[in-house]
Amino acid sequence: MSIFNMLLRNVVRRSVFPFAMKERRKNGFFLTSFYKTFPRRTLNLSSYLKDAEPNPSQKLNLDEWKNVMQSRRQEEICEPTSKCEEDSTLTAMREFVEMRRLAGRLVPENITEEELKTLMELPTKSSRLKYLKFLAKRERKINAKKAKQEKKNQEQEELLGSVEKRDTDELKNTFLKRLHSNTLENLHSWRAANAMIFGQPLVFDMVYENCMSHTELGNAVDQMMECEGFNRKSVDPFHLHYCNLSVDGPYHKGFSKRYGEAWDKLLVTVTEQCYTNLFPRDRLIYLTPDSRKIMTTFEHDKIYIIGSLVDKAGQPGTSLARAKRLNLATAKLPLDKYLRWTLGKKSLTLNQMLCILLTLKETGDWKEALQFVPQRYHDGFVDVDLLSRLNDAKF
Amino acid sequence: MAFFLQASNWGLQTFLGRCFLFQPASTCQKSLALMVHLLSRDQVKGLPFTTSSQSAVPQDLKGVHMLHKSRSGSRDGKKEKRKERSREEDKEKSLMSPFSAGAAKQRSVSQQTPTSMRLPRLSKKDDIQPPEKPLNAEEWQEWRTRLEHLTDFENVMLHQMIKYESSIDVAKSLMADVVLRNGEVKYNLLLGYLILCVQQKQVAEIFDIYDIMKLRFKTLDPGGYSLLIRGLSDTERWREAILLLKEIRKVTPPSKGNYGYCIKGALNNQDVQLALEVYHEMVAENVMPPLDVLQAFFDTCKGTQDDKLKKELLDMLLCFRENQVYPNEALMQSIKLWFESVPGEKWTGRLTSIENGWGCPVCNQVLETIELSKKEYNILKKKIMKNVMQGSDIFKKTTPQELKRFQDFMENHLPYDIVIDGLNIAGSVSRIGGYNVLFDVVSYFAQQNLRLLVLGRKHLKDFQSWKWNAMTAMQGKVDFFFTENISQDDPFLVYATLHSGNHSKFVTRDLLRDHKACLPESIQQLFFKWQRGHQLMPFSSRTKKISFAPILSYDTVVQTTGDTWHIPYDDHLVERYSYEVPRKWLCLQRK
Repeated sequence: MSIFNMLLRNVVRRSVFPFAMKERRKNGFFLTSFYKTFPRRTLNLSSYLKDAEPNPSQKLNLDEWKNVMQSRRQEEICEPTSKCEEDSTLTAMREFVEMRRLAGRLVPENITEEELKTLMELPTKSSRLKYLKFLAKRERKINAKKAKQEKKNQEQEELLGSVEKRDTDELKNTFLKRLHSNTLENLHSWRAANAMIFGQPLVFDMVYENCMSHTELGNAVDQMMECEGFNRKSVDPFHLHYCNLSVDGPYHKGFSKRYGEAWDKLLVTVTEQCYTNLFPRDRLIYLTPDSRKIMTTFEHDKIYIIGSLVDKAGQPGTSLARAKRLNLATAKLPLDKYLRWTLGKKSLTLNQMLCILLTLKETGDWKEALQFVPQRYHDGFVDVDLLSRLNDAKF
Repeated sequence: MAFFLQASNWGLQTFLGRCFLFQPASTCQKSLALMVHLLSRDQVKGLPFTTSSQSAVPQDLKGVHMLHKSRSGSRDGKKEKRKERSREEDKEKSLMSPFSAGAAKQRSVSQQTPTSMRLPRLSKKDDIQPPEKPLNAEEWQEWRTRLEHLTDFENVMLHQMIKYESSIDVAKSLMADVVLRNGEVKYNLLLGYLILCVQQKQVAEIFDIYDIMKLRFKTLDPGGYSLLIRGLSDTERWREAILLLKEIRKVTPPSKGNYGYCIKGALNNQDVQLALEVYHEMVAENVMPPLDVLQAFFDTCKGTQDDKLKKELLDMLLCFRENQVYPNEALMQSIKLWFESVPGEKWTGRLTSIENGWGCPVCNQVLETIELSKKEYNILKKKIMKNVMQGSDIFKKTTPQELKRFQDFMENHLPYDIVIDGLNIAGSVSRIGGYNVLFDVVSYFAQQNLRLLVLGRKHLKDFQSWKWNAMTAMQGKVDFFFTENISQDDPFLVYATLHSGNHSKFVTRDLLRDHKACLPESIQQLFFKWQRGHQLMPFSSRTKKISFAPILSYDTVVQTTGDTWHIPYDDHLVERYSYEVPRKWLCLQRK
């Protein structure tokens, strides 16, 4: 045994020393730890010795790394014992996440207690992994944003430093005071307030809150916020109605969480009532991609209804069923007429719908309005000139 | 069809000539596709062309292709050959039930459209070939500098080694190098190395890694556990694999692979009792055991005297029956050998295929009928009404008024023998030829003195032609029901057939998969059984004669009468879709 050890020591020293010397700071442990523990598996050695390979040093150190790994363990093992008093399943979950991270999978670096509990409540393996992936991506996004912000701040500071030198200069003579953002906001609010009195109503049907999952509802709230913002900033806004919004329902909670105090000051009509009670039935048109009727022109005396439903699971016909139940007229956008559709669902997001309707209201031009359809869905506009030329050629 | 293509060809070519004058070639191609589409549409609308029963819309893609390639004669030759081949298949096809294994494949071959091949995506990693011999540190350093663009050199290298199944020594030298550089090996590298060891069944290495991991980490991730279970299960330390299974269960339910390797490990070491324990645990968790695990059971228990064990194995076969699972060919052979090896009971197994008829041609045993029992039938009827018709919102598929109208209609009329899905048989409305097919189908049944119901939407009624007048002459036998244009007509079809009773059949080419999906899982199997027994599927009438696929009178499921077993199995040459059943059987008989 001792002969083997001697041999091994010599061999290792010979093969390893040059590198160990080079990166001494990094690998300093190597020498010390090596002397501390004896190699556990020496069975390979004997065979190599007998064979007398031309390059024995290279062969020998193949298994050496295991000894190194094992010797390192004994130092570390004693550490994590204090934390075990926590809820056992929760720690098991935390360890699971940690090991997944070590295995190079997509999991968040830090996970809170609350998130762990949500993770545990999820019923299936795939849903858990999906949730972890989501958390990881979100974390990555937040971190990237933070880093960007920091960089920006730094640049700003540098810029300020250079500006201060010029600060002694006289003030410029200008015709206008600097346009502050709240000036613009006042203007937008003024327009929105006008629209509340004179504007064309546009209804969002908030009845679908129970058809959606938690994530979908979150997305829907985001889209609604974007709608409201875009509408307010337009030249001639709609008078938005959020109909069928139940008090303290999921939507209401989502809104008050996202808007905070601003929710009460929002220049939209929020009501628990149905639009059929507010408006005459014959002026209502429900917009749904499942409709058979294709919208040809935007009518300024009609009231369009958009179902605020984000449907990722793909259950078609939900909003059409709703319109059928209430016996309302329906319509869909003429997407196929103007666009060469390639892939994707024909149901657009709420904010895209609003943008399209606003543009139609202002210009009446379908081509301009349908610019808001995401470009990945289609392969360009149908060439109207060619169409007419074809018809001429035929008849 | 041929006529239509020629005619449009001529028009297109003259147009093409003009087009080339004004437009660059690339836009010309696009406009060409558009043109064909427009022409075909306009033709149907306005011009008195009569096309045959083939569809116009999917075909015009083909038309474009033919135009592009018409100059190369070999293409046309190929096309001709394909046509001939599909014609031959037509003959064979007409003998096969639409739900038999391979039927969908045949259907798709005859309707094949040229699809573009998707090229595999190449990344930076793909052209790296790992070294063939173990390298020393300097050489690894060389590799590193050569592949500077890789952020995670070791990991990529290890996975390329797994891909090319490099020698384990190469990987070892890489690990040794990593230790030299970093002082330790990270978990993901250990995992990669473990994959390589498991792949090449390096038992000693697996043990070493396992020991290292046990020392180093308190727990592992399920991926690591799974690898270890797989690696340990066929070694002498297989019992530890079962311990690892328990570790996995702490955080997540084990996969069927985890269970499978544990069971196989136990079976390899003749511990049948333990294997059964794990098996029961697996079934209790609602994990469907993989077929090779069951095969291992049958292989190990050959020649057993133990009655209890025998019963367990027969229970496994009954489990197939309940879950509508069919053994593959290898498992079938194991089952056959097991039966033949049971001492004292002289089983003989023979392979057969039962096509049309009542029973097994080998032993003349009558197989279980495809008809549902009274109770099952009523359950199905109720569930169809509740889940398919009404669903979460009755307005999705129909309206309450319409449903009421239909129910009244059904009550006032006698039960029907045949219910026909008018729109499906006629194809889409734009196809004039489709109406001829519908008419042919209707008159085919009317001649046999059967009571018919044709279902359709209102726009079917609007499109009247002279043939419909002839059809009204048959009104005594044929009834029509038209739903609203925005309603779905398939649920009405199913409902009407079910309502008419067990003898009634329906005619559609639709496989009704979306309606099947609305049902809970156990009812789906009932529905599928009923569908196999009651759906008539017409073949396109190139020969101008209507023919229907045969309905099998027996149920394709594992079945026994005590002295006989009949087990359908998957032929390994035939690709079976989920909505098809196998055609081959294993017949086991005791003498």
